[in-house]
Amino acid sequence: MTSTETRPRRLSPEEVRARLGEPEAMIKAKVHDRIDRHGHRFIAHAPFVAMATSDATGLPDCSPRGDYPGFVKVLDERTLAIPDRPGNKLADSFRNLAENDGIGLMFVVPGAREVFRVNGRAYPTDEPDVLARMRTEGKPAVLAIIVDVVETFFHCGRALIRSRLWDPASQALADELPSVGEVAAEQMGLDVDPAVVETMLETGYRQLY
Amino acid sequence: MLQKTVLDRVEPVAEDVVSLVLRGAEGPLAPWEPGAHVDLSLPNWLTRQYSLCGDPADRGSYRVAVRFDRLSRGGSEYVHLFLRAGRTLDVSLPRNNFPLLPAPEYLFIAGGIGITPILPMLAAAGASARLVYVGRSEATMPFAAELKAAYGDRVRLHVDGRPDFAALAAELGPDALVYCCGPASMLDAAEAAFPAHRLHLERFRPVVKEFAPDVPFEAHCVRSGRTVPVAAEESLLDALNHAGFRIPSGCREGVCGSCEIGVVGGEPEHRDDIGAREGRMYCCVSRASSRLDVDL
Repeated sequence: MTSTETRPRRLSPEEVRARLGEPEAMIKAKVHDRIDRHGHRFIAHAPFVAMATSDATGLPDCSPRGDYPGFVKVLDERTLAIPDRPGNKLADSFRNLAENDGIGLMFVVPGAREVFRVNGRAYPTDEPDVLARMRTEGKPAVLAIIVDVVETFFHCGRALIRSRLWDPASQALADELPSVGEVAAEQMGLDVDPAVVETMLETGYRQLY
Repeated sequence: MLQKTVLDRVEPVAEDVVSLVLRGAEGPLAPWEPGAHVDLSLPNWLTRQYSLCGDPADRGSYRVAVRFDRLSRGGSEYVHLFLRAGRTLDVSLPRNNFPLLPAPEYLFIAGGIGITPILPMLAAAGASARLVYVGRSEATMPFAAELKAAYGDRVRLHVDGRPDFAALAAELGPDALVYCCGPASMLDAAEAAFPAHRLHLERFRPVVKEFAPDVPFEAHCVRSGRTVPVAAEESLLDALNHAGFRIPSGCREGVCGSCEIGVVGGEPEHRDDIGAREGRMYCCVSRASSRLDVDL
């Protein structure tokens, strides 16, 4: 790969608006400031959420979170709690939240074309009554992220329709990817058999909690 | 084995308590005896145990009742807020850790939602049975009105604290049996007041107990010829499932019985609150300190 010699041209906000046109009034009206019963039902069925945070300079990070449907708890119509499960312990999200409490969430329900979006302000907690609601396989969550909801909306399904995300035939795409073992061995410059890395990862994946 | 059911209706039966009527979708449901419970597989992948509180003679449907738990991990919250009539739900075969044994006289003691296994017992126990039913207020006590209507003064409701169990014990005939289901504090009080040989309990939560420290051991699975190492910090249930076995589980606290497995050799350390039969163990809490041969 070579770098682009002249960067793709940058549009001003006015130029972007001129190309997209104005949103319809109905679309503008769909933003709410709380989790209504439809949003609550969506979150209760979502086993996956993409969580975006950013650091003090504004550099964003987007991290996947997943568990059984409803693993993100709706504490009340303006408050969510997201469990923190054992992962890579990098704590990028927590470091970001310490610098910048903004958070963006995109909830996904398998089979549903629309996604549910929540933007807000967040902080970590170890409140026992919150962690107690997050026990899985007999183990409580270590920490939880509390989200004070600022805005919520359902995001239309075009992206998921175009991407054929729920079409079982789409899963054949994954067969074309390098194995994580190959990627890890090359990126870390390890002189090891990718199959060994693969086996280590698969063994690690069996211990989910 | 799972049975397919359709949720026929969801009805409030007290403050924060709903009853679910589950109709068999493929003919009659498996028979059950009073005291039995089932595992209900919820649409959010959680499995929860509920006592059957309908009529055992009705082979077409099961009834359970569910209290909303403020600290719900997603079971009772799902039932109360999201479960809708018409939904297909998988239900396990009934299991009974709390069977009604023959006796000339019965005293039933229920606390709150603990009434559920007692309800069909009371119907089966005959005219010598009495019920002491304790709750915060009548509005929070499921089935209180129907119990009073059906059994009159054989049912006593207590809304201002637990009655004196020692006094109740003193009134009992020589062969009477006592069945008690409710919160842990009530069960502990019952254990203090009634002799062990006549008291039968069902717990929602495990008794706090002290055990020898957890040590690693190996589970030799005799049918598959595999040996599964169990680390000190993991349960036998988790180790077996991580090794690829598919052992069902429910409470993970040794009270429900979903994870029962056969033991053919070695010395299991039983830590459940059910009382495993000879040659069986509940692998969510029970473990061993040396090699165990299991029937897997």
